Amino acid sequence: MTSRRPIIAISAVLALGLTACGSSGSEDTASTTAATVKSYDKSVAGVVEAAEAFLATLDDTDKASAQLDLTQDNATAWSNLPCGSTCRVGVEFSNLDDDEVAAAKSVLLTALGTGSGSGYQRVTELLLADDYLGSVQASSGTSGGPGGGGMPSGGAMPSGGGMPSGGGMPSGGGMPSGGGSDGGGGLGGYGSGNYYLAFLGTPSSTGTWQLHFGGHHLAVNMTYKAGAVEGVSPFFVGVEPTSWTDSLSTAHAPLKDMRAAMLAMTSSLSTAEQTKAKLSQSFTDVLLGPDQDGKFPAKKQGLAVSSLTAAQKKLVLAAVKPWVANADDATATALLSTYESELDKTYIGWSGTLGLTKHADYVRIDGPSVWVEFVCQNGVVLQNQIHYHTIYRDHTRDYGGEFTFS
Amino acid sequence: MIRRLALAAAALVAAFLPGAPAAAHPMPHSTVTLDVHDRSVSAELRLPAEDLALAAGSPPTAASSPAGGDVRRYLLAHFRPRTMAGAPWRVAIDRIEAADGEQTATGPYREWVIGASLSPPPGGDVRHFRLGYDAIVHQVVTHTVLVSVRQDWAAGRVEGDTQVGVLTVDRRTMTVPGLTVDLGPGSAGRGFLAMLRLGGTHIVEGTDHLLFLLVLLLPAALLATGRRWHGSAGGRRAVRRIGAVTLAFTAGHSAALAASALGHIELPARPVEAFIAASILIGATHAIRPLFPGREALVAGLFGLGHGMAFSFTLAELHLSTGQLALSLLGFNLGIELVQLLLVAMALPAIVLAARLPAQPVLRIGGATVAAVAAAGWLADRLGRPNPVARLADTAGSHTAVVMIALFAAGLAGTIGRRMRSAVPTA
Repeated sequence: MTSRRPIIAISAVLALGLTACGSSGSEDTASTTAATVKSYDKSVAGVVEAAEAFLATLDDTDKASAQLDLTQDNATAWSNLPCGSTCRVGVEFSNLDDDEVAAAKSVLLTALGTGSGSGYQRVTELLLADDYLGSVQASSGTSGGPGGGGMPSGGAMPSGGGMPSGGGMPSGGGMPSGGGSDGGGGLGGYGSGNYYLAFLGTPSSTGTWQLHFGGHHLAVNMTYKAGAVEGVSPFFVGVEPTSWTDSLSTAHAPLKDMRAAMLAMTSSLSTAEQTKAKLSQSFTDVLLGPDQDGKFPAKKQGLAVSSLTAAQKKLVLAAVKPWVANADDATATALLSTYESELDKTYIGWSGTLGLTKHADYVRIDGPSVWVEFVCQNGVVLQNQIHYHTIYRDHTRDYGGEFTFS
Repeated sequence: MIRRLALAAAALVAAFLPGAPAAAHPMPHSTVTLDVHDRSVSAELRLPAEDLALAAGSPPTAASSPAGGDVRRYLLAHFRPRTMAGAPWRVAIDRIEAADGEQTATGPYREWVIGASLSPPPGGDVRHFRLGYDAIVHQVVTHTVLVSVRQDWAAGRVEGDTQVGVLTVDRRTMTVPGLTVDLGPGSAGRGFLAMLRLGGTHIVEGTDHLLFLLVLLLPAALLATGRRWHGSAGGRRAVRRIGAVTLAFTAGHSAALAASALGHIELPARPVEAFIAASILIGATHAIRPLFPGREALVAGLFGLGHGMAFSFTLAELHLSTGQLALSLLGFNLGIELVQLLLVAMALPAIVLAARLPAQPVLRIGGATVAAVAAAGWLADRLGRPNPVARLADTAGSHTAVVMIALFAAGLAGTIGRRMRSAVPTA
């Protein structure tokens, strides 16, 4: 672990540099001593140390945004949407200076997985993706995004009420206050500045608290209790576009491994098994997105993994791994072994087509504990291509099992 | 005193201003918008075309295909309202058209807009029923349907949508729970009060009607000789003339409103709207150089007929039963009169005062010119030539209350100031 740390630090500095390049340049990073993202000890104590170090960099106002109570309302205040602070809690990255952002990222680097392309690296890729999406929207001048703020001309939007499911969007919903790198106006826009970090409960190695981080297409919820990791979900991750090449000619495809793992699983099935696994309904989004906490379908649908060969079962486990690997490596390993032991009571299902290339192409893995969904849907800014939404939940461990949902 | 009066007037006018804009929903969804009538309910459905194609089983790429017949068949199978006792309503689909939709953070998309008439069996309750709707959501389980009421006369709701329910799959059971629409009590009294309010709102927002009345009143306190306005006609005569003009305008538009609403006369909106713009132009010209001195009341009455026709469009949109219509006419007209009287009373001090000022011709001609320019802009716009003048005039119209309060305060302050300065009252 100790020997690996310099590499992590270097890659983190690189990632930070890319982030700085990717942001629209509104903030001049003139300081030659680039703020360094570093990993503390890969333990709950290390995460606490990183969290305390981050909080120490903040002024009282920002600290008040970042340090909140562990309540069900705060814990469930996340969304896949670019709705800024109207649908989530925490301190906004665009309100922070370079050192503060680096300290925030150090918390994530310490708390999340170290795998190549997963864990912390995936999170940084997601922020880059949003900078890229913001730049695409800005250059194309499309009104299609959140900046369009579109009331349909025909008035298809009834007044009153917030989110239809009665959750995430507080009715007062204004714009986020900051947003130096926001791609658009309206709901908050796209960009790495429009991500929010909060600690729900005081970070400690004895109490119960949550690391709550997210923005457009990203929601990370890590729950700690008495010095142990109690929950690593819900974890929402999506991306638009699914791949792009940045100004340094570096190719990005942050969810490619997730799609590949799902495809490896479904393509190992025989035609008869595929037929059995096919779900009758259609999915244009994940079923258990924001505000659908605890609403796991009572009856599992699709193909029973118990009927599969050992090799196929391995592929099922491999398909949930990219999501579970968002957690720190030790916790991910422990959870994967739990999920492996439950494979015989796990089901897989799909809808649309098996290619994961078209709108409403969908795959799901539903076990006694694990729940993973991957769906392709039409692009919002880049309308001629699909984009991905995915979610990882755990039937009993979401938010560390701290809450019950009616 | 002035301050208290101005505040009271501001509060009264503000009561007729529209509310804050509706909050936006960040998900692509269907909407079902209900208009509740006496013995039936009409529904406007907006369904994202791609989701409907997924649900109906045809390929999603056929989003814009003219599959009207399929849409009708599909909808009749997935929209089956029932009474609370379970008796089926009759559903008639009146229109199906393809359109462009866009909701917040969805980007543009194609949608189907469907109009349907829903009738309960004889004696059935239109205020309490089961919606029996599961289009798209029965199949596309991530879809959401927002159900709202746009118009419900008997509950006093004539404009603005109110959400009454959300249809979405219950994740735990993977079924679509039924939605019971319960609109609560409805009565003629509530409807009447709502129409009173609507009438008042209409005159505050309908800048053109108010402007017409004001330009006719501009020279009300003056005497005409040949082709010129000059001298003050005196406060008492001015008040009498203003009363006559206002009354004649009221008589004219009331008669036309009643005739067109009860007689179900349907006039095309655009010529009527253009006629109103022309009436302001003529009124403004008259304020600059007398065209029909002494016959302002007659002209106000004649032009009032046109304005009444325009008012009737608002009522026609409501599709009311005859009984509701009669009450609505009364309430709507009364609302118009009350606010009109209030606004005229607010303008009165300024009109009377201005007639006695040396700057009278400048004020009158200046005011009339502004009105004439706005009217010309509207006229061009309503004859099919949109222009910045009309847009600007419409924008200014949204500040009627502020303008009228300022006018009232200035007139009152000026009058009192004059009284205090000169010991000998003029006139």
